Amino acid sequence: MSSNRFTPRGFPRVPLQNGIGRYICQLKRITLRFCKSSGSSRGIRDFIETDLINFAQDHPGTALYLKPRRHKSPSFVAEYLNGEREVISCHNFTAQQTIKWLNLYTTRSGIPLMRYAKMWHTECPSIQGVWSPFTNKDPALNITQFPSEMLSKPVWEEKSATEELIEMINKQKISDENDDNTQKVQAAQL
Amino acid sequence: MLTLRRATRVLQVLNTTQKCEQSFHRWLGPTLRELKRRKDSQGPEKPAHRKTFLEWNYDTEIYAFSKRLGEEFNNDLLQQALTERSYIIREEERQKNVGIEQPTLNLSDNKELVSKGSDFIDDIVKRYLRTVLPRLPEEGIIGIHKHLTSIQTLSHVSFHIGTSDLILCADFPVEKLTLSNVLKSIIAALIESSGNSRAALFVRDFIITQLADKDLHQFWEPDEPIKLLSEILARDGIQSPEPRLIGCSGKNTILACFRVGLYTPDDKQMIGLGFGETVDIAHEMAARDSLRKLFGTSDNILLPFNLKLDQLCASSARNLSVTEWSQKTIPAHPSHFELRQAKEICSN
Repeated sequence: MSSNRFTPRGFPRVPLQNGIGRYICQLKRITLRFCKSSGSSRGIRDFIETDLINFAQDHPGTALYLKPRRHKSPSFVAEYLNGEREVISCHNFTAQQTIKWLNLYTTRSGIPLMRYAKMWHTECPSIQGVWSPFTNKDPALNITQFPSEMLSKPVWEEKSATEELIEMINKQKISDENDDNTQKVQAAQL
Repeated sequence: MLTLRRATRVLQVLNTTQKCEQSFHRWLGPTLRELKRRKDSQGPEKPAHRKTFLEWNYDTEIYAFSKRLGEEFNNDLLQQALTERSYIIREEERQKNVGIEQPTLNLSDNKELVSKGSDFIDDIVKRYLRTVLPRLPEEGIIGIHKHLTSIQTLSHVSFHIGTSDLILCADFPVEKLTLSNVLKSIIAALIESSGNSRAALFVRDFIITQLADKDLHQFWEPDEPIKLLSEILARDGIQSPEPRLIGCSGKNTILACFRVGLYTPDDKQMIGLGFGETVDIAHEMAARDSLRKLFGTSDNILLPFNLKLDQLCASSARNLSVTEWSQKTIPAHPSHFELRQAKEICSN
């Protein structure tokens, strides 16, 4: 879902600073639409018979409506405090599935699904303040005398080919000497 | 919706069938096109009020509204708070047009409740700001208070607790002024049904929290910070601060940056630091920085939103004005104000 190129992109948001003060369930209204006779509405009818009262008691802040419609595929409409409205098809759902989907939509904020550009967002100015060329600068620079020889050098110097060759020859010499030494020791032991 | 579904089905069919025969009717495409053209020619659909829908029960909605907020309302008062004068006038006219000479509605409008709620919000918001920002001059308190009680903020809060469908008024879509008035009257209704303390907590939880995540300096900033800073320091017997250029990069280029620090002449303490593209701007920024430090509104302060009721309502004295602000006359923290909550947040 999140890889869908048509999903809008955005930052995680919360409506009305919800949770800083007190939490309000953002689902304001829910309408269950079902058929009284067709088989595809079986699960939602079971849900209405068994768990509807519990659901309504658990969510007193949500207005709940039942809307029987003859020979129509079942669905429910979730309306949120921010004015968003979502229709979810419940075709051939079991009662358990209906409960799970209802639970998902009661706990949502109502802001449409989006691809998160970052998993956090703030509108506060950053803690270290606006960046300037002097931010996080080494305090030792305050007392350095310029021009400084150390600071004028390049940060990363690569070895030249000649230097690398000399180094390799030196290494070889050392290993040759080592070999000679080991041979001498072996001869002495014999 | 229907047309979209049809169109996707057509696409599916096109993708899957390899046969030469077409599995959908020849008339389908032209018909859909014609339907769309007719729909477009009608212009955009007019928004309909939610009460015109079949599934609408006003009593249920009112009940859910109070339960959602977690408050106990007197039902008549809540009904009165949600009724605007314009609605009563319109309904009376409607009854007169039908032929009823003396229309009776048994509804009263929320005019009195609005003024009462407005006074209450003003009081609580100011008390909160003075408690949390005791060093900020009164001008700053008034600036922040003005933002929090503006029609913009109050209508935003009112809309997001779900009043827009429930308001009885003549205008549709509901205007912002109506939304903010209804929020005020709801708070007044809450005072009368559950008492001042519940209403104060309501204001704290829904209106004051709007300050979270906002930059406080956008609401009030002194016009001439350098002058103001030297005036304030003069009242404490400190000579006007001396600015020093303590950093400079990219001079005479388009990306020039100067850094100026303000030092007290006597004990050589740095009281402010600022940077800018010219020395003058950097000097002014440094003065602003030192004023922010004096007033206790640095960028990284955390406002405690979980103040208890006694802390919320205790401070009623005005803060000092800018013209008389001085560090000597600033009162010590009032004994009731414990920044314990704020400190806990900081240490976590």
